[in-house]
Amino acid sequence: MNLTLFIPELTLTVFAILVILLDLFVRQKRVLAQVSISGLVIAGVITIAMWGNSFPAIFNNMLAVDNFALFFKLIFLAVAFLVILASVDYTSRFARFQGEYYALVLLSTLGMMLMAGAADLITLYISLELTSISLYALVGFLKDGKSTEASLKYLLLGAISSAVLLYGMALIFGFTGKTQLGEIAMVIQTMPAQTLLASPALILGMVLLIAGFGFKIAAVPFQMWVPDVYEGAPTPITAYLSVASKAAGFAIILRVFFSAFGQPEWLSLNWGMIFAVLAAIGMTLGNIMAIPQTNIKRLLGYSSIAQAGYLLIGLAAMGFSAGADTAGRSGILFFLASYVFTNMGVFIAIIAISTKLNSDQIEDYAGMGKRTPLVALALTLGLISLIGMPPAAGFMAKFYIFSAAVQHNLLWLVIIAVINSVISAYYYLRVVKVMWLGKPASEEKISQSGTLKLALVLASLGILLLGILPGYVMRLAEFAANMRLY
Amino acid sequence: MSLGLEHYLVLSAVLFSIGLYGALAKRNAVIILMCIELMLVAVNITLIAFSRYIVPAELTGQIFAIFVIVVAAAEAAVGLAIILAIYRNRQDIDVTKINLMKW
Amino acid sequence: MIANYGYIGLFLIAVVLFTLLMVTIPIALRLLGLVPDKPNPIKNAVFECGMETIGKTWVQFNFHYYFYALVFLILDVLVIFLYPWAVSLRVLGVSGFIAVLVLITIVLVGYLYAWKKKVLEWK
Repeated sequence: MNLTLFIPELTLTVFAILVILLDLFVRQKRVLAQVSISGLVIAGVITIAMWGNSFPAIFNNMLAVDNFALFFKLIFLAVAFLVILASVDYTSRFARFQGEYYALVLLSTLGMMLMAGAADLITLYISLELTSISLYALVGFLKDGKSTEASLKYLLLGAISSAVLLYGMALIFGFTGKTQLGEIAMVIQTMPAQTLLASPALILGMVLLIAGFGFKIAAVPFQMWVPDVYEGAPTPITAYLSVASKAAGFAIILRVFFSAFGQPEWLSLNWGMIFAVLAAIGMTLGNIMAIPQTNIKRLLGYSSIAQAGYLLIGLAAMGFSAGADTAGRSGILFFLASYVFTNMGVFIAIIAISTKLNSDQIEDYAGMGKRTPLVALALTLGLISLIGMPPAAGFMAKFYIFSAAVQHNLLWLVIIAVINSVISAYYYLRVVKVMWLGKPASEEKISQSGTLKLALVLASLGILLLGILPGYVMRLAEFAANMRLY
Repeated sequence: MSLGLEHYLVLSAVLFSIGLYGALAKRNAVIILMCIELMLVAVNITLIAFSRYIVPAELTGQIFAIFVIVVAAAEAAVGLAIILAIYRNRQDIDVTKINLMKW
Repeated sequence: MIANYGYIGLFLIAVVLFTLLMVTIPIALRLLGLVPDKPNPIKNAVFECGMETIGKTWVQFNFHYYFYALVFLILDVLVIFLYPWAVSLRVLGVSGFIAVLVLITIVLVGYLYAWKKKVLEWK
């Protein structure tokens, strides 16, 4: 057992405990944010230092430390960093519980990092629940009517979906007798096709797994919680949910379906088709439902359902390529990286505007172009990136994923996706129009705090960097997409 | 007639279905939470039965079940805390009345 | 197969007979006139442990019990992990011991938190 490979996670654990303890003994609550951020930075630096090597899995092959996991760990650490920067001002709303807030953010980040590396059904389940349970509590942090309601809905639906997921895992364990993903793959590949088809356990288990993971990534039949939770949760947590939780879900799906069910080919064609159908329904429903929304957080909730649909195209491409090339996988990784900056930028801008206005209604955003031009500019950039127009990151992300799908005869799916992108432009641009052309309610300027500006500038730079110079990140994504099989 | 793997699987499938039905049909949040626990117990039965009959030499299923129990306890604790917060807010835990936000 | 359950059947019969016997003894003693029959209100009262209740017994619990239950739950869950470790104490050796120490430390932090947040005090 090599504990040195586990240091990033250990660092986060120690810092989460430290934050809880400091909260009990320290009066000056600003320290807590600084401690959390330093913990994230230390973990991030160590993770970067580990990049590029080929490490063996640790804890009896239960936790992989390959570049795929490191890539996702970096994404989660970056998101948590931006979330904490964005919540420094926001936490004054629950002044009594700041320590718990930061500790829970760190713990859910820890859970996601473990999810990225999980190579065993047991680790996978525990890390997933560590993430989810921390997030249930975080969603209800405001303790008002909407927030607790969102939290209850998220908890009940999340618990049901994780029970369904667990039943799927139990069936797969029963079918193969293994819980380690690589060993499951070995058992499946050595069985003749007749044996595989004779029992419904494998297919049923796979479908239940898709249902459970689909909840995490907000794929369509399992998306009911998304708008309500996004609207009710504290805005930094909404941002965190929409980005990190989704990325963690995709990390797990990629690893499970690539390493355990990647071969034989008919099997991967089967789940590739399921993902393709889910993608088509998800994009269409998300985009159409987003059009009539008046609350910007709800609008982004439906937008995130649609984005999950675009991401699922990559999974479908992976299924149809039978693991032969990395186009689908690296497309997803690049899309997620750009989605992190895009959505974080959008949500940080919303935090900046909404906390001053005390409203999430789109019509209240009128005249923001004059009242706080920098924030409005960043929000516009983020929305353009969500539509997928150059020069923002979203354009390159969609380009890579769509081209991966076209390579594997999924042209029909790409056509649906392009039509959907056009539909989505309507409601994203409506927000932009209200901000720049609408009549402001007052001429008063809105000033922002330093940390919020820093977070906003970082996110916007990320969007532009990935949009104009995508080559470097794409090479990283291609490198990371070569998952090790255990 | 002796007990085989099928009996345990049927039992757990029935329990799981009862739990799922209750979780989707009941209106009281606490009862929904109990139904979710029932679903997890059903999964535990499946896991242990598979472990006993498919890989009797290893204890994978039993270990998995222990972790499931622990996670279920944590989930129930957080769930009850959230229900308590809701009750303090509006003196009611009927999920059909928890509808500040519409689809 | 049936024979295996024979002892259980015999046991069941013995249980039923014994119960009937014990119930009939006081009735038989009364009928034989060995026990005096002098009823009064206190004797006829429903026997219950402790004091008579005031008001309805179907009351809601104080939700402070909830916090105690939660604190107990942590211990409960801890024990689930301690059992398998205790059973294979020798096999796991020092590394297992350290792992359990880490687990207990984390749980202790939880207790410290509960203590400082005054959950353990009855208000």
